[in-house]
Amino acid sequence: MNESRHIVEVSDLTSGYEDIRVLDNVSIHAPSNQITIILGSSGCGKTTLLKHLIRLLQPWSGSIRLFGQEITELDEPEFNTILRKIGVMFQNGALLGSMSVAENVSIPLEQHTDLNDEIIRKLVEIKLDLVELGHAIDRYPSELSGGMRKRAALARAIALDPPLLFGDEPSAGLDPVTSAGLDELILKMRDQLGMTVVLVSHEVASIKRIADHVIFLDRGKVLFCGPLKEARSAGIQKVDDFFSKG
Amino acid sequence: MKETQITWTGMDLAIEGELTIPMVSLVLKQAGQLLELHAQPDLSVDLSRVEKIDTAGVVLLETLKNSAAAKNIRLHWTRIPAFVDQAMTTFSGKKDSKGTPGPPREASVLARMGNFAYDVGHHLHDLFYLIADTFYYSVQNLTKRHGQRKGEFTNQLVLIGMNAFPIVGLVSFLIGLILALQSAAQLRQFGAAIYVADLIAISMTREMGPIMTAIMLAGRSGSAITSEIATMVVTEETDALKSMALNPVQYVLVPKFYAMTVAMPLLTILSVIIGILGAFVIGLTYLEIGLEPFYNQVVSALFLKDIITGLVKSVVFAWLIVILGAYHGFRVRGGAAEVGKATTASVVSSIFAVIFADSILGLIFYLGQTIDI
Ligand SMILES: Nc1ncnc2c1ncn2[C@@H]1O[C@H](COP(=O)(O)OP(=O)(O)OP(=O)(O)O)[C@@H](O)[C@H]1O
Ligand SMILES: [Mg+2]
Repeated sequence: MNESRHIVEVSDLTSGYEDIRVLDNVSIHAPSNQITIILGSSGCGKTTLLKHLIRLLQPWSGSIRLFGQEITELDEPEFNTILRKIGVMFQNGALLGSMSVAENVSIPLEQHTDLNDEIIRKLVEIKLDLVELGHAIDRYPSELSGGMRKRAALARAIALDPPLLFGDEPSAGLDPVTSAGLDELILKMRDQLGMTVVLVSHEVASIKRIADHVIFLDRGKVLFCGPLKEARSAGIQKVDDFFSKG
Repeated sequence: MKETQITWTGMDLAIEGELTIPMVSLVLKQAGQLLELHAQPDLSVDLSRVEKIDTAGVVLLETLKNSAAAKNIRLHWTRIPAFVDQAMTTFSGKKDSKGTPGPPREASVLARMGNFAYDVGHHLHDLFYLIADTFYYSVQNLTKRHGQRKGEFTNQLVLIGMNAFPIVGLVSFLIGLILALQSAAQLRQFGAAIYVADLIAISMTREMGPIMTAIMLAGRSGSAITSEIATMVVTEETDALKSMALNPVQYVLVPKFYAMTVAMPLLTILSVIIGILGAFVIGLTYLEIGLEPFYNQVVSALFLKDIITGLVKSVVFAWLIVILGAYHGFRVRGGAAEVGKATTASVVSSIFAVIFADSILGLIFYLGQTIDI
């Protein structure tokens, strides 16, 4: 297989906080134009891995390639060019508290395009409708529920229709109907926009619906990284447990 | 509830009663006294009469064992009831002890000095980069639209400047009034009452105006800057900005930096004017000096140099407050409690820095003056 076909490629990544090791020799990839789900028990290092992918953390060793470029070696302007092709949804939303939902979603549009205000507003409305938050467009993050914050954050992440989307548990804590709606949306973005999606998720039902590729982490190590179908027949105890208990 | 007892049964100890949260400190105290008197290296403790145990009870047993071990006594549990044994396996903290750090080691004096030097070096390094970034982006933002938040400068100017005006005005008025009152009594004895105007004009312009405004703004805006930035760090908003290819210094701090740089000199000028007005009130009522002679005296007393001194000071103070406020905000790690601590640290350090810088600047201007002559 041609390695450079993968938009995301991590090899031998080892890292942690202070001197506590969290990721241990992690080598994974996410194929382009597919939905990759990172799963694993709470505290195993999924969020940490995502943060490395957008260089919020510095690895102890190893390499991280996005769009074929080694991001640990890029300078800030070069990396910013890559970041503009990526949408990121944080686990707790991380909406700017001093701005309304609409303003939050418009940040990437305002900063990285030269669209006029009217078009930006329209785009913001569309994105918020996609995540079913059209009614909360002018509210402030402190006035939203946890699930609404996550959805607003997702809207912000997809504001620019980025070719690569990272999401940290977008559907955790949502009711099954809204959650299924988000799954639909993510599938549409893959199929209609050709987006590559990398999500952290625990929801077995949702994983079965949308995942093409899964990465299974356990205590900072990779148990499995490959297509969903193979995961279920790989005969790894913890992976089987996960799918049967879900 | 019956109190738990530790009793001697021959050569052994026995615990009788409940091992639950309310009993923990009681048992610890009794055990401490018993172990104090005990000299044998081995000691059995009969647990058969324990009636109930919870997590705290399990921890208590572990603690007893450890504190006995520290006195070179080995404790053995005997006749452990099944439910106690079960609780001890369920609640013992041993299962996942890999990640938990051991007891902190006492660092040697040298190591601590080394750490301290490292910390100071680290702080200075961070501070230096923050200053460099702030000035770099504040120059860049003058010409580039990208990377800034629209309308934020005006927003901040209102927040920092306009809203601070009433309190700065009031304080300055009172300061002028008090200074005039204090000096009037003295000057009057020499028939030099009119010089109150000179005194207040010069001291307000060169010292009190800039200093009082800076202290008010350090308390008002410096703390607001720190708590806002610290909250953004804690809630990952700064990370989110970075993920959108935006620089938090450029996006969040620079508008505040601009606003402060503009607001501070303006507020200082107002503070000086109002302070002199305060003095005039004393001049008029207590010294019976009319508006015109007072005004003429003020104008003749002030030189351009005094005004420039005051304005230069106010800008330097503004920068100190913004940079220190932001520095304490950006270096917050952890949760909400850290935000409060950072805010306090920011206010204290920026007031100190303002006063320190004032003395340095005073010295510089003074030296400049003497060399001029
Ligand atoms: N800022 C931090 N400082 C120190 N340790 C951290 C920090 N953030 C995370 N950790 C530790 O790193 C490990 C992995 O955390 P991470 O947030 O990546 O887990 P996760 O897989 O995303 O869990 P969850 O499913 O609960 O979100 C955890 O053991 C956690 O305690
Ligand atoms: Mg997580």
